[in-house]
This record gives sequence, structure tokens and C-alpha cells, in this order.
Amino acid sequence: MGKGKLAIVGVGEVPTGRYPDRAPWDIIYETCMQAVRAAGLDKNDIEGVISVNPMAQARLSSEIGFGKIPEELGLKGCNDVCICNAGGASTANCLRLAEQWIDSGIAKTVLIPHVTVHSVLPPDDLIAFFATAGMDLQWEYPFGTTYNGIVALMSQRYMYETGTTAEEMASVVVALRRWAALDPNSMFYKKPVTIEEVLSSKMVSTPLHARECNVLADGGAAMVVTSWDLAKEITSTPVYKLGQGATYMSASAVLRDDFFTREAWRKTTQTALDEAGITSNDVDVFEFYAAYPFCQCVMLEAAGICDPGEAGKFIMEGHTSPGGKVPCATIGDAVGRGHTGSGVSIANYVETARQLMGKAGERQVPDCNYALATSAGGAYMNAVTTIWGREPQ
Amino acid sequence: MNDYRKPIPQIQPWSAPFWEGTKKHELLIQECAECGARIFYPRKYCPECWSSNMGWSRARGRGRIYSHTTTMTGVETKFLEDLPFVLAIIDLDEGVRMTGNVVDCDPDDVSIGMEVEVVFDDVTSEITLPKWRPVKK
Repeated sequence: MGKGKLAIVGVGEVPTGRYPDRAPWDIIYETCMQAVRAAGLDKNDIEGVISVNPMAQARLSSEIGFGKIPEELGLKGCNDVCICNAGGASTANCLRLAEQWIDSGIAKTVLIPHVTVHSVLPPDDLIAFFATAGMDLQWEYPFGTTYNGIVALMSQRYMYETGTTAEEMASVVVALRRWAALDPNSMFYKKPVTIEEVLSSKMVSTPLHARECNVLADGGAAMVVTSWDLAKEITSTPVYKLGQGATYMSASAVLRDDFFTREAWRKTTQTALDEAGITSNDVDVFEFYAAYPFCQCVMLEAAGICDPGEAGKFIMEGHTSPGGKVPCATIGDAVGRGHTGSGVSIANYVETARQLMGKAGERQVPDCNYALATSAGGAYMNAVTTIWGREPQ
Repeated sequence: MNDYRKPIPQIQPWSAPFWEGTKKHELLIQECAECGARIFYPRKYCPECWSSNMGWSRARGRGRIYSHTTTMTGVETKFLEDLPFVLAIIDLDEGVRMTGNVVDCDPDDVSIGMEVEVVFDDVTSEITLPKWRPVKK
């Protein structure tokens, strides 16, 4: 399989937060216009729009799915439009489909937007949505499963097998929130937490405390992508996709031998690094997105940065935090960012681009040449790893 | 029994024997007559070999806890009365793995590797959920 030769040339984003008075379309306008302008393009240069499906918002999903974005924005050069639905891995699929459209000549440049406004949904509806989304209605839901519950089962087993302590797991949140505290686009900007604050927060599902779980947020972002060749002409700071790896696990966690997903991440990380022709030692920033703290540990171990079971200690020592030798999740993953629904991982790709463009502000990793970015959907149905860089290779 | 407000399983034609079994307080595991695979959850065709020749065998109803969590909050209103409740993954002696609840014990006493046995909860006149309790030593 050859490389798709995709590059990100512009990004736009609104801060995560609660905007019950703000129409989703207002966010779509702002993020898309930001991204197109950041790329230095005209709106009519956009030849394709591939959006994340906002799964929690059925009406919005229908409007976007049936082609309203190019019409609202007046994208006169648009050749086609599509919506991608793969839960938290939707953005990864938008990128891969865009790659195919660009490669096959459907579109030279593609706009990838995401928006979700959770705060307009009644709390009971949101709990019900997350209690059933990704859960099996026959074999899981009748027993009271929730996202937090399933991840609690995975975290519990990870901690049991590796001996990782509650303090070490809490320190993952501390590290993520230290990054978030430097991010003006995070709802937790300037709001770091301590291990004590994490461990004294309400127990949700053992071993997960409230501060180890996600806060639902409103938000949105957009990216403009194009081919490697055009990217060089469009901007002085293109971000090249250099490698990828993907594997499917299972819809239900219970059916997974690789229960806390380390082997899946090991496989996709290696495939992506091999395709890029680099090793994990060459990676300057690890943009791990996985929505819960244990995943940061699992991914560090999968990347070979830490021996199995050592990641908790490593994170507690501060090595993944701002100023650390292995910067990880520089927007603080979903725990530090607020969870914006099925498009939550777009923030991760936007940050990957910012780091490689040298536009990450206080979070900027010095001499950032290579970034690894991950995403996954549902109850970890899949593992998607990508490598990005400042030079095509 | 008719005021059960929590979700009941959405049964498929090919999984109906499982739920007819629990109603009789029997735990059935689907087995492929072609390749011998033991399958959970039940499928229309064998996920190993796509055979349509599927059968059932009665499980001993014993297993060990692979992982567990005590849920304290963050559930739908209909589950509030159960808080705190134990959600667990159980490795059955027959080699399949199920998600379920551990009942009849203090949630703090549940641990990985603990031996459990099935207990049948007749939640409505039609539906019986298999649940799990620690095996008394």
C-alpha cells in the first residue's frame, strides 16, 4: 500500500466550553473560515468537504450529512461532500477519505470540520446517549454498563497486571491538566490539578475518580488538507502525513483478548513508524488521544518508550509533562480538553499540526520535527496511529 | 415484577435459546457443530467458520472474575436504585467471557480471580438475567 501523500495546510478551532446560546452553525462558520484563511486559500479553492458526524445531535448530523456545509459557506468550487462516522475515530477516517479524494482527483483541497454542542441537550439525554452508544443492548446495557464503567474495567485490569498505583494513575491526569493549563482553547486553561485533588474527587466507577473521567464540552475545529505537492505551494509550514497503521479490535470490550489494547497499539505504532521510516526515538511529540488516563500509559508502553507496567511511574516523574523529555498529549487529551463528542480527536490532529507548524504557543515542543498522533472509536473498537512531519519523506 | 424499569435485553432470533435457558435457570453456551468453537455472545452463523450448524450446551455456571468495577454514580435514572453496583467480566470455566453483575456480596469484597457462580434474577415474567455471586468456601 502506497502512501497517500496528504498534508495539513490550515487549521481553525474554537475553545472548548459551554455555549448553549451558540448555534452549531456559528461554530462551523468560525472554524472553517479560520482554517481556510490560515491556509491562505480562497473559499472557492475548497473542492471537497468531509465532516465528522456529530453522533449525539441527530438533526445536525442530518443537515451536515446531506450537504449543507458547502452551501452555507458558499464553496463554489466544491465537487463532493460526505460525512464520516466512526465515533472518536471519525476524524482519522475523514483524513483518510480526503487522502483518497485528493489522490484520485476528486478534490485538490478538502475541508474537514467538526462541531458538537452538548450543552443544549438535556443531561438525562446525554447520560442515556453515552450509556448506550457503543454498548451492546443485549449483552452489556441491561447490566448497567456506561463508557466510564467499561473503561473502569479496563483500567482495573491494567492496574492489576502492571501494579500501577492509584497515585500513578492520578498523576496521568495531573500531567494532562498541566498541558491543558497552557492551552487557551481548553476549558481547563490555567486550571491545573494535583494528585490529591484527583484522588479526592468523587468515585465514579472504581478505580476511576470524577477527575479521571471526561467532562462533556461544546466545541469544534476544522482542517484544510491537500496533496504534498500543492502543500508546498500553498504554505511555508505544511504538515506532512508520513505513515499510518490501523487495526480493528472489537465493538465490545468483553470480546477482546488484548483487553487493555496494548498489543493493538504496539502493532499500529510499529506499522506507522516503519512507513514513515523513523523510530519512536525520532518522535518529538506523542499526541496520544484516547479519552481516559490508562490509555496514556498503554500507548507509552506500546511505543516502547516505557517497559510494560512502567508508564505510570514515568508519567508521575513528569517526563510527559511540559518541559519533560517525552512530551505527550500537549492539549491534555480529552480529559484536559473537554470531550466534544465523536469529533473529539480532531483537536488532537489540529494540535499535531500546530506543533509541527511551530504555532503551539506556550506548549510548543522545541525543534518539533516528528509527531505521532493516535485515535480510537467507540469502546476502543480500533486503534489508529499516524506519523506527521515537517518534511515530505 | 411488571414494574421493572431497567433495560431488558434486545433479543435476536438466534439468541432466543439463551434467554429461554435463563428463564429455566439454565446457562447455555452456543457451540458450533462444525468447528467446535464455543461462542459468546450467540451469533446467527459461527464467527470462526461461518457454519449455520449451531448448537447449545449447558454451562456449569462457574467462573472467575477477570475484571470488575463498582459503579457509584453517572448512571441513568433507572439504575439509580441499584447504586452502588458491581459490573464485572467473568471468565467461565467453559472458556467464554461474559459481562455481568456481581450480587449478594459487599462490593468491596469483589476481586480479580474470585470464584463466582451464576444466580438467576427473574426481572420480569419473560426475562431472567444471569448474575454472579461469590462461591461460598
